[in-house]
Amino acid sequence: MKKKFGYRVNILLFLLPALFLFISVLIAPIVMSAYYSLFKWKGVGPMTFIGFQNYSDIFTMKTVNAGRTLKNALLLAAFSTVIQLPFALWLALKLAKGIKGERGFLSIYFMPVLISTVVIGQLWIKIYDGDNGLVNVALRAVGLLGEKDMIVWLGDKNIALWAAFVPILWQYVGYHMLLMYAGIKSVPPELSEAAMLDGCTEGQLNRYIIIPYIKPILKVSVIFAVTGSLKSYDLIKVLTNGGPASTTEVPSILMYRQLFLANSYGRGSAIAVLLIALCFAFALLINLAFKGDDTI
Amino acid sequence: MKKVIALVLATIMLLSFASALAEKEELILWSIAVESDANTPAYNAAIEAFNASSEEYVLTMQPTENEAYKTKIKAAMSAGAGLPDIFFTWSMSFLGDFVAAGRVYCLDGVLPAYKDELTDTMLANTTYDGAHYGVPLTMNVVTLFANMDLLAQAGWDKAPETYEELIACCDDLVAAGIIPFGVAGKENWCLSEYTEPLLVKTIGAQGLKDCYTGAASWNQEGVIKAMTIFTDMLAKGYFDPNAAAMGNEEVKQAFLGGKTAFYQNGSWNCGEVAAAGDAFVAIPFPVIDAEKATLYEMVGGPNDTLAVTASAKNPEVCAQIAFEMGRTIAREGNLIGSGLPAWAVNYDTSSVNRISASVADMVAQSQGMVLFGDNFLSAEQADIYLNYIALLFAGEISAVEFAEGLAAELQ
Amino acid sequence: MSSSAKESRTFAMTAGRKVTFSSVIVYIILIIWALTCLFPVYWMFTFSLKDNAEIFFRNPIGLPENWIWDNYKTAMNIGHMDKYFLNSLIVTVSSIVLTMLAAAMATYAMTRLVWKGRKMMNKFFMLGLTIPIHASVVPLYVVLSRVGLLNSYWSLIFPYSAFALAMAILICNGFMGDIPYDLDEAAFLDGCGVWGIFFRVIVPLMIPAVSTVGIYTFLQCWNELMFSTIFNSGEAYKTLPVGVQDLCGEHKADWGPIGAALAIATIPTLIVYVLLSKRIQESFIAGAVKG
Repeated sequence: MKKKFGYRVNILLFLLPALFLFISVLIAPIVMSAYYSLFKWKGVGPMTFIGFQNYSDIFTMKTVNAGRTLKNALLLAAFSTVIQLPFALWLALKLAKGIKGERGFLSIYFMPVLISTVVIGQLWIKIYDGDNGLVNVALRAVGLLGEKDMIVWLGDKNIALWAAFVPILWQYVGYHMLLMYAGIKSVPPELSEAAMLDGCTEGQLNRYIIIPYIKPILKVSVIFAVTGSLKSYDLIKVLTNGGPASTTEVPSILMYRQLFLANSYGRGSAIAVLLIALCFAFALLINLAFKGDDTI
Repeated sequence: MKKVIALVLATIMLLSFASALAEKEELILWSIAVESDANTPAYNAAIEAFNASSEEYVLTMQPTENEAYKTKIKAAMSAGAGLPDIFFTWSMSFLGDFVAAGRVYCLDGVLPAYKDELTDTMLANTTYDGAHYGVPLTMNVVTLFANMDLLAQAGWDKAPETYEELIACCDDLVAAGIIPFGVAGKENWCLSEYTEPLLVKTIGAQGLKDCYTGAASWNQEGVIKAMTIFTDMLAKGYFDPNAAAMGNEEVKQAFLGGKTAFYQNGSWNCGEVAAAGDAFVAIPFPVIDAEKATLYEMVGGPNDTLAVTASAKNPEVCAQIAFEMGRTIAREGNLIGSGLPAWAVNYDTSSVNRISASVADMVAQSQGMVLFGDNFLSAEQADIYLNYIALLFAGEISAVEFAEGLAAELQ
Repeated sequence: MSSSAKESRTFAMTAGRKVTFSSVIVYIILIIWALTCLFPVYWMFTFSLKDNAEIFFRNPIGLPENWIWDNYKTAMNIGHMDKYFLNSLIVTVSSIVLTMLAAAMATYAMTRLVWKGRKMMNKFFMLGLTIPIHASVVPLYVVLSRVGLLNSYWSLIFPYSAFALAMAILICNGFMGDIPYDLDEAAFLDGCGVWGIFFRVIVPLMIPAVSTVGIYTFLQCWNELMFSTIFNSGEAYKTLPVGVQDLCGEHKADWGPIGAALAIATIPTLIVYVLLSKRIQESFIAGAVKG
């Protein structure tokens, strides 16, 4: 009996640092956001209880279009999963194969992640510039765009969202590649050697040995990419600031706007609660989708 | 690593000793005067002057960058903790929310000593229910800057004086392959620097003020007329086709570099524009409806403000510091051209740049002024208002829908 | 390359290195991608040597017309980059250590020790992935001011670690799952308790996870701006991103010095990364022994 009690205390002690950080820093904001979301409140001064009105306001107001921001974020998450991650995996597989210059490529591909978002954002603004941005200059050079014509990539409401996605997806390819590369490198050599002796092609080796082996890492990548996309803020802020006319707004930008610019703390908190719920649901779903690996 | 730790510990000990030795109590000032800000030397001069004279207190400034500061002060005011003694703020609704929450010290006790240097107009934006809560620093107005070299290339050797001339001038510029206006479509407040002067010159400063306060409806003929002019100007290609993707700094550089003929923005740009060359001038935006507006009616007013927190250590002393600093900053800002003074001018102004001087002249002749809409309106309303302007600029709504929408959502 | 012998033990070499048409295509793609990744480094460097007129209008992409090295002087003098660099380093390293320790301990309790509710607990920690940083500013400010931690390194270390924790636990889960249970049992038979097993068996084998968790945490902390601006006032605890931000005045910002400050903040991390990437790779290969 005594031993069992000691075991429990030990479990608690092991969990203690994480629980302490978690509850004091993360759970408090969730609880408080949920509470604030039921009030009309400027952030200072008196609060008025209004039930769930903030939750309907954020979907019905002409200038607070939470539905569109959620759609934008989900699109980004989808692109991230079907374009960014497969490309990162492809790069990781090619590099881990032991290609010449492997280490150089590895370092270079990671650089965009290390560079400040301000630099990345300002650079892409120049690349997309209507007058003399690289994209338009290239299009004019190959004759796809008239000499005097211009496409205002980040200012055209039909294109801006797609244009803004490109740098966001591009920047983090290196990060996912590194995670996957690390996983691939830890595949036991015996496994792949045996498979090669059995006459596996490279594609079969990847498909049946390596990718199943690194499933836990793929799961981490997918969760990181999806929750990261849903919460994206920095690059959009620099590239378009949510414009033109809020067409590229994502939930975090709208939330910030409501919390700190519009002094609508209740509405901002309502967006936060929705975002938290959505991220959590996706994290659990992804976990479920990767069931079959026994690590969680 | 050990060395680093030792060094850190030693520094901490030294600092705590130092603070124990200094008997003066520390007063904290939060501002946006980061070291690269134009007004920082003025702040520093005022702080040094106070610290040299005070035996009881030492004043320390903790600056934060402009945009981040808004979040910071709101978070601190919201928590009601960790607040400084004196803080920078913007007038009207920004300060008003803090006043309403009881977080700001009333300055009425200290104000009489400075009353003859501050007019009621300059204090109006920080007066709530007749009580004064803020010290105005600089005032700014929306200014139309023009590049006369580019106008000359389109056959104009004088600036357009009437609305018809302005339109004719823009047509000539477009015909000559020159873009008339630059505007930052990415920053909604920059769009309002174009729409608000149009409104003032159509319905008058008082007319616009009435819209803001709700005394008149947004859904009126004059508003629709002014906004139709705006959408027509967009449709006729008067604005940089790249504008929707541009930030204010890009727009300003394009203007100073000779790409666009006009740039309409705050008078804080006067010093920089004047330094760019003799071809640059400031002109009044012409009158559109002479029955309701006059030439020197403008958008602007005192906005940058200092205030004292209710929790300040010695609020009366802090209030005096705020007034003394306010006077210094108003003077220095005026002399370097980063803003017009909100305080009486009783010093030599011959060193003021020619564009600031000309704008000060226009202000002196002004028969009406209305503060920037996003400062006048409450934060919640300002957010809706600015977003309507963005929708109008992007062609998502018409001038009529603009007027109807604002009338429905703000009033 | 000292590790080449080890490398040949991985599956890589067995795949062969014939020059074929498809491998040329692969190479071309790899090189083009590398160029797009190097371009921002070039651009950051050139823009740190220009003035506003060049950056925003005359010459946004090309080499500087006049090389304004003074921008670096301005960045150092006004942005205090040296002092803030040290602050950033202290905060980031402490956050990585705290995150790693808390995550490894929690993961151990949830995967190696048997108790009811451990799976639920694991899911509970996933909540940490969901919280948008801006929504937590005001609640955190309240908490930090109550416990008197505003204006200290802790006001950043605690939040940064907490925000990195969920992902760190997720990563540690993957790594710890690969450590054979036989090792625990052997250590147990040798008389180790749970703490002995954790520190003598698990921790040494978790070294490869340190780099993965470390990089993740680093990316969260190094460029973080909002907490750093709001929870600390005055110069004592300012971090690099805040120093860079301070170069923007209310109505006017000189972007040349901002570029220089960004370069000062970024280039050391690029160099450290390039140097460390070899170590990181080797630590992964060392991890491969576990299989």
